[in-house]
Amino acid sequence: MSQGGISTGSSRFFLAAQRSLRSQEGIVLILAAAAFTVFSFLLPSFLSAGNLIALVRSVSILGILALGMALVVIARGIDVSMIATMVVSVAWAFVLARTGYSFNAALLIGCLFALTAGLGIGLLIAYGEVAPIFATLAAGSVIYGLGRTFFFQLEMQNVPPGNEWFAEIGRASFLGLPITIVAFAILCLLLHGVLTRTRFGWQLYAMGSNPAAARTTGAPMRPMIIAQYMISAVVAYLAGLILASSASAINARLFNSTMIYDILLVVVLGGIGLNGGNGRVRNVILGTVFVGILLNGMTILNIDYTVQNLVKGLVLLLAIIADSVVNPRDEQTSQQGDL
Amino acid sequence: MTDIITFRRATKEFRGNPAFKDVDFSLRKGEIHALLGENGAGKSTLTKVIAGLYSLTSGELLIEGEVRTLASPADALKAGIAMVFQETNLVPSMTVAQNIFLGEERFFNRLRGINILAQQHLQRLNFHVEPTTLVSTLGAAKKQMVEIARAVHHSARVFIFDEPTATLTPEEKHHFFELMKRLKAEGASIIFISHALEEALAVADRISILRDGALIVTDDARTFTRQSIIQAMVGRQLTGELYGQARGARTARSPGSAVLSLRNVSMGKAVRSASLTVFAGQIAGIFGLVGAGRTEMMKIAAGILKRDFFDGGSIRLGGKAVRFRVPRDAVKHGVAYITEDRKLDGIFEAMGIAQNIFMGALMKHTNPASIITMREARECSAEWIEMLKVRSISENARVVELSGGNQQKVVIAKSLIQNPSLIIFDEPTRGVDVGAIGEIHQMIAKLADAGAAVVVISSYLPEILSLSDRILVARQGRIVEELTVDEATEERIMYAAVH
Repeated sequence: MSQGGISTGSSRFFLAAQRSLRSQEGIVLILAAAAFTVFSFLLPSFLSAGNLIALVRSVSILGILALGMALVVIARGIDVSMIATMVVSVAWAFVLARTGYSFNAALLIGCLFALTAGLGIGLLIAYGEVAPIFATLAAGSVIYGLGRTFFFQLEMQNVPPGNEWFAEIGRASFLGLPITIVAFAILCLLLHGVLTRTRFGWQLYAMGSNPAAARTTGAPMRPMIIAQYMISAVVAYLAGLILASSASAINARLFNSTMIYDILLVVVLGGIGLNGGNGRVRNVILGTVFVGILLNGMTILNIDYTVQNLVKGLVLLLAIIADSVVNPRDEQTSQQGDL
Repeated sequence: MTDIITFRRATKEFRGNPAFKDVDFSLRKGEIHALLGENGAGKSTLTKVIAGLYSLTSGELLIEGEVRTLASPADALKAGIAMVFQETNLVPSMTVAQNIFLGEERFFNRLRGINILAQQHLQRLNFHVEPTTLVSTLGAAKKQMVEIARAVHHSARVFIFDEPTATLTPEEKHHFFELMKRLKAEGASIIFISHALEEALAVADRISILRDGALIVTDDARTFTRQSIIQAMVGRQLTGELYGQARGARTARSPGSAVLSLRNVSMGKAVRSASLTVFAGQIAGIFGLVGAGRTEMMKIAAGILKRDFFDGGSIRLGGKAVRFRVPRDAVKHGVAYITEDRKLDGIFEAMGIAQNIFMGALMKHTNPASIITMREARECSAEWIEMLKVRSISENARVVELSGGNQQKVVIAKSLIQNPSLIIFDEPTRGVDVGAIGEIHQMIAKLADAGAAVVVISSYLPEILSLSDRILVARQGRIVEELTVDEATEERIMYAAVH
């Protein structure tokens, strides 16, 4: 396979291959490459430039949401309320805009709503000391219920008329790339910078790696937790806006879909351990691309939606099993223990 | 042949790294065999092979002269081998009786039947444990009894104890040794891993010493002395006795200003109206048995635990009254608490050495958006790695891959980088190899010489005596005795701690 043919080049290639086989990241990369190759051979239309762009575009919303989730998961949390926050804050903004507020003011209120939701969840986890999975699960239902009861009745909320620039975001492209992809790329760069270069980012890893040690060392645990969930809520709001502009509406029913599991699929497949303390932005990108290839290929193959879900589940299981086979949890080699 | 367990050229490797290599070991019928060695010498791995948790990479394991491979702990139990772990393997929410009969429940269980059987069984062993009590309410020694009772119930003939006395009080230790002798008299064979050399010398029939995965020597316990054991363990003559730093030659440091003072501090049942003062430029040693509340007192001072809101007493730091809600407040006031349990709240497993140490500096400052680079982390921690002589295979090694002593040094550096004025060491040399103990002790002494207020909590008397300038003794949640280093003897300290 190695193109070089020179002995040092190929041996380095094998070394890299060997190393990549030792991590879940590597396994997923190989699986993604395999899926890509298989689909390109099977489906003539798969490899066209148009389809590739469509592929990335369709999953970049998922990717953006996964970025927010990744930040929380790295710090040993989880946020399953993201979809609720996304649909309710965006839909409410649209309703307000149609009832007389200026569109900009409405968007700002939507953003404030998302921030408040994140703040509430953060307070619940930081001060109420509720486990993140339960806090966000319950908060998701509360947020969605609030929205459907008080803010809007219809599931489908169209983008208010007269705001062409907003609808344009979903259609326009920058340097030949759809804005959706550009937004995903910018957010990736931003999060990468935060995670690797800032004190906040480093403290996130410390919290995820060993919360008790982080606390004893003097990490501001509670403000950190609140900040995480506020960030993930705002990321969800942004994803909702981009989604709405490309579909020219937001569908509140997304809350009842499997979307939140798709986000977790991206995060876990990409190799960000749910135990926290591990993972980088490249894991999110990897997970997004792999899930994108899978979904796109299966859609072109016209596979039934239910079967697609089955495949996604099986792939996730395979990735986890492969990980535990390649990296056995052995007391002498890795003392991280299971959560 | 009277050997019940024999290893022939046994080797166990983890990913190509041998935990022990070419070991020839034998356990005779009806003997107590102590297994000694520094951390990472391979003792635990060796016994885990016998207990069926690991299988050998090469070589043979013979049980009563037959070559066997034990696939699982259940397999080993069938062959009559039971291992009692450091952390006991009991179900805390079940009763003693249920735990003894764990794994052989019938489809329908009658609790009364089990209780009666367990009662008979415990009585035969002369264990004073009520079969209907919940395991979670028992102390460490009683839990060990239950575990042993379970092993005897499964008709085990070989018992493996991994650091059984680490969590026991002197009285409980005494009971435990009695029990070992009784098991021996009934014909059982015992392997016993310990860091307390005196125990091994007193109890064992034979002693084996491992170093770096090789069996150095096996011989009758009578032929060993404390000195010769240490020599075999570390493979070099230690300059001066480890803890012996003749106390007469050392004068106590004079106290500076009072840095920390606790007045009638209370927290639930663990700390009851404790009062103590710590001075700058001195080492205050706090001794106490397990459960005396010494760790809790200091954790309150460091903001990790909160004292009672009402009647919780008062804490003054540098003359000012303080009430820390979270450790962060204490860290900002220059208090550092260095944990007794590195794995629990000391190290960040997934990170490298430099990153771990740098975390200390990182946490102390506030602006969350300030820019951090890996290079800054490396430069910042390099001097500490140098000063504390943290040894690792590679610079990027993760902390989990280090030995206990080096992990401890990393945890110490992580706190010292915060430039604290009050440093609390909780069991600073627990699970640390002999070589590193001396280095850590020097570091602690140097801190006090430089003017910092230092607290050392330890349950090892020689450590307290060789380090401290003042000795405080804790019992039942309060400080009951204060001694200067000149008047303190092991007997006086122990007398205050137990009565």
